[in-house]
Amino acid sequence: MAEIMVLMEHRQGEMRDINLEMLSKGQELAEKTKAELTAVLLGKGVASMADNIKRFCHHTLICEDERLAQFNSDPYQDVLSFMIKERKPALVLIGQTACGMDLAPALATSAGIPLATDCYQIEVKGDTVLPFRQMYGGKMSAEVHFAKKAPCYMITVRVGSFPSEGLREINGAVEKVAFTFDKDYAYKKFLQYVEAAVGGVDITQADVLVSVGRGIGDPENLPMVEELASLLGGVVSCSRPVADKNWLPKERQVGTSGKTVKPKLYIALGISGAFQHTAGMKGATTIIAVNKDPKAPIFNVAHYGIVDDLLKVVPGLVAKVKERKGA
Amino acid sequence: MDIIVCIKRVPEVAEIDLQVDQTGKGIKTEGLVFCVNDWDNYAIEEAVRIKEKHGGTVTAITVGSEESEDVLRRALALGADEAVMITDQKTEGSDAYATAKILAAAIKNIPYTIILAGALADDDGYAQVGASLAELLGIPHATLVTNMEIGEKRVKVRRELEGGLEEALDVETPAVFTIQSGINEPRYVSIMGIRRVAKKEIKKLDLGAMGLAPDQVGTTGSFIVVERIFTPPVGEGAQLLQGSPDEVATKVTDIFQKGGVI
Amino acid sequence: MDFLEKHELYACLQCGKCTGGCPVSMKAPLNIRSLMRQVLMAGKPDVALECPGLWDCTTCATCTLRCPRGLKPSEVIVGLRGELVEGGNVPKTVIDALEGTFKHGNPWGKPRQKRMEWKGDLAVKVLPEEGKAEWLYYIGCESCYDPRLQRIPRILCRVLETAGVSFGILGTKESCCGNEIRRMGEAGLFEELREGNIKNFRASGAQAIITTSPHCYNTFETEYKLEGFKVLHYSQLLADLLKEGKIKFSHEVKKKVAYHDPCFLGKQNQIFDPPRQILKAIPGLELLEFDRSRERSLCCEGGGGRMWVEGTGEGERNSETRVKDAHAMGAEIIATACPFCLLTLEDGAKTTGLEEKVLIREVLELVADAMGFENV
Repeated sequence: MAEIMVLMEHRQGEMRDINLEMLSKGQELAEKTKAELTAVLLGKGVASMADNIKRFCHHTLICEDERLAQFNSDPYQDVLSFMIKERKPALVLIGQTACGMDLAPALATSAGIPLATDCYQIEVKGDTVLPFRQMYGGKMSAEVHFAKKAPCYMITVRVGSFPSEGLREINGAVEKVAFTFDKDYAYKKFLQYVEAAVGGVDITQADVLVSVGRGIGDPENLPMVEELASLLGGVVSCSRPVADKNWLPKERQVGTSGKTVKPKLYIALGISGAFQHTAGMKGATTIIAVNKDPKAPIFNVAHYGIVDDLLKVVPGLVAKVKERKGA
Repeated sequence: MDIIVCIKRVPEVAEIDLQVDQTGKGIKTEGLVFCVNDWDNYAIEEAVRIKEKHGGTVTAITVGSEESEDVLRRALALGADEAVMITDQKTEGSDAYATAKILAAAIKNIPYTIILAGALADDDGYAQVGASLAELLGIPHATLVTNMEIGEKRVKVRRELEGGLEEALDVETPAVFTIQSGINEPRYVSIMGIRRVAKKEIKKLDLGAMGLAPDQVGTTGSFIVVERIFTPPVGEGAQLLQGSPDEVATKVTDIFQKGGVI
Repeated sequence: MDFLEKHELYACLQCGKCTGGCPVSMKAPLNIRSLMRQVLMAGKPDVALECPGLWDCTTCATCTLRCPRGLKPSEVIVGLRGELVEGGNVPKTVIDALEGTFKHGNPWGKPRQKRMEWKGDLAVKVLPEEGKAEWLYYIGCESCYDPRLQRIPRILCRVLETAGVSFGILGTKESCCGNEIRRMGEAGLFEELREGNIKNFRASGAQAIITTSPHCYNTFETEYKLEGFKVLHYSQLLADLLKEGKIKFSHEVKKKVAYHDPCFLGKQNQIFDPPRQILKAIPGLELLEFDRSRERSLCCEGGGGRMWVEGTGEGERNSETRVKDAHAMGAEIIATACPFCLLTLEDGAKTTGLEEKVLIREVLELVADAMGFENV
């Protein structure tokens, strides 16, 4: 029976959202290809997590060791290599996350498994797996083929590409996998987690976010954005380039490498909408985007759009809101 | 402290309308401006800073065509000491895996303590070369590095995770680190600076010089090939608010009011 | 020649007329007299490079115009910035402006392919590809890309057409003039821009160049060493066309208008009268003069790279002072003949809350009203 193997991610005792997303796609692919879905959980003291995962797969493989307590690409690579050799899955799914990016390329290279990274869609045509991924900051999509026929393929999955709800209850068994480590991995030691310096503003708690991107042009244009945010009872957030330039502190950054937010209202000012950003705010209830470029990808995720220069729109908006509030 | 930095020449596409070319597998590049991949720029800056603090040499290396000389010259002007260009038509069509193989073949003959590369590239965004390269060279790696503290035989790094969280790792050298943007503020490279290094030698390597067979590179040596590219379907997209600035401002304020925000 | 010799620092009297006339010295940590002394005492520029106010300088050149010894303190600042540029140690926004110019031909880093979008449907000849013309109209980066400014070249094209002037443009071949680039210290990039532009000028077939911006005018006229070309700011050509009866103002503009002399047009190039002649010829327009007018005009703080560097000084911006002064003397409009002055004065009008009371207009915008232009 062919197998689709999915690597589960967890951190500080919590399962990560990508797991259900990958399992949901895994279920769909397993059904289409008449395969079984197998989740792999590596860690230490993660048995209770396995109980949660097993609901959605035919097999849940769990391997526990001190070396696996925190994610570390090298021991993870060794255990997965072993599992892949033993079980010969047809497809291995890993999240395109900080962990996945550290692990998948090295694993694929050492095991000789063709790898397609950062895919937002996976189709199956006959017995061919077709990954789809984006290029040029989201301006182009690409259908990718694996160059050679191989017994196993690996795909890393873009966060937020697949639903995390509506999974079938399969309730397979949990199997413990024994692996004998012959290394202690002292050459790559996990030391500790480092929390972002808290400046007192937690954008994940805000109901309203007024977010600025490269289009803000200059930090001296920020005050009018702050004014709009404060009029709406919200907080200013930003995309990566603004945080990289230190125009706003890193804690305000929304996106895959920043925070994921789900406010009632998200106003995107001068943000192009490259995937790394939209992944962090797609879930907002109402998204209003302002951008000079009518083709900016942000308009694909926004509910309302204004094609104009934010430097012209914001002052007019501030005035209108003040007027409406004063009324 | 000898550092190798892997860099890539990519097109700048920020505000450009991209079009699919005749082959259907690439974009039309006419009129596009090319420059060093943003993440690689942070990597070169980091390498030069490490050199300025700890001594040693920085070698910039790229897999490309004659035009890639531009990015190597700029790296030299920024502070790299040596530049190596791997140029061979047979490398065309190489994906990230094949590119890692090419780099590994060139690098095994260059002394190094640390190899830096950008975490991913502006054009294809594979985020693969660095970690694959480490595997091929048999050395440890850490990706998405936001901070580096150089020690005797080890490097302490911070890696960017999600949600503002980072992890601190202690890695033995030699090792590969892929650099996340924002790790530093890259310095400006002036025109005169680039002119000053115009005559510096750029070592050129082809497959033969590196002992690579043609079937190990190009599409034959790759894991994946791009079958076709296309502009993403716009989907339902946003409801565009039209009208005079005043009318638009009114419509937006109505939305605010309806949503209970004001 | 070392830095001190190049800038003749040994000749400096330390009289202080430079700092005394500097439009930003009262609020920014920039004291040019003191900087010159520091460099003189140290024998090299290094110590002055740490001055936090180096990027506040607008290169209005008041200091240079007033130096009794004929020294060029504003060039000393440009030289110091040059040292920083060569060392790679400049503010992020300056890096963006310089790299944007290198890659895309304009400091906003906007795509070259979009440089002529200001034209809309307007038919304008691209030289030399689409023919020959007597005048080359050099639009300038900000007027090409900034939505607030894009109507200004459209207006000028219509005026020139109405007057029967033979003119054309470079199209997307047009690259930054480099005036601000040189003043931000990137001498190498300035040289490249100059060479490229001169090649395009020669190939265009035109014999005369007209500019929207006094900044472009200034560098073409005084720094490019352009031989065989006449260079005019648009106000000079328009004043002549008025005199010759080739353009007529048929509509009234019944407003009190104060004219603000841009530094790069007025005090630096002595072009004071042509814009005033144009304004005075507009029926119904009452021309008012600031106390600080002509040579003493108050720098708006838009030049010398200030469009890309936030001033460090606390306190009222000159643009705010200008708008308040205009309002106090009853002016309804401040007219100016420089796109940077226009933008900075408009900012000043906004931050003082006077934007409904004192409108900021380019002279060409008033010309458009006076000529009854619609849809422009």
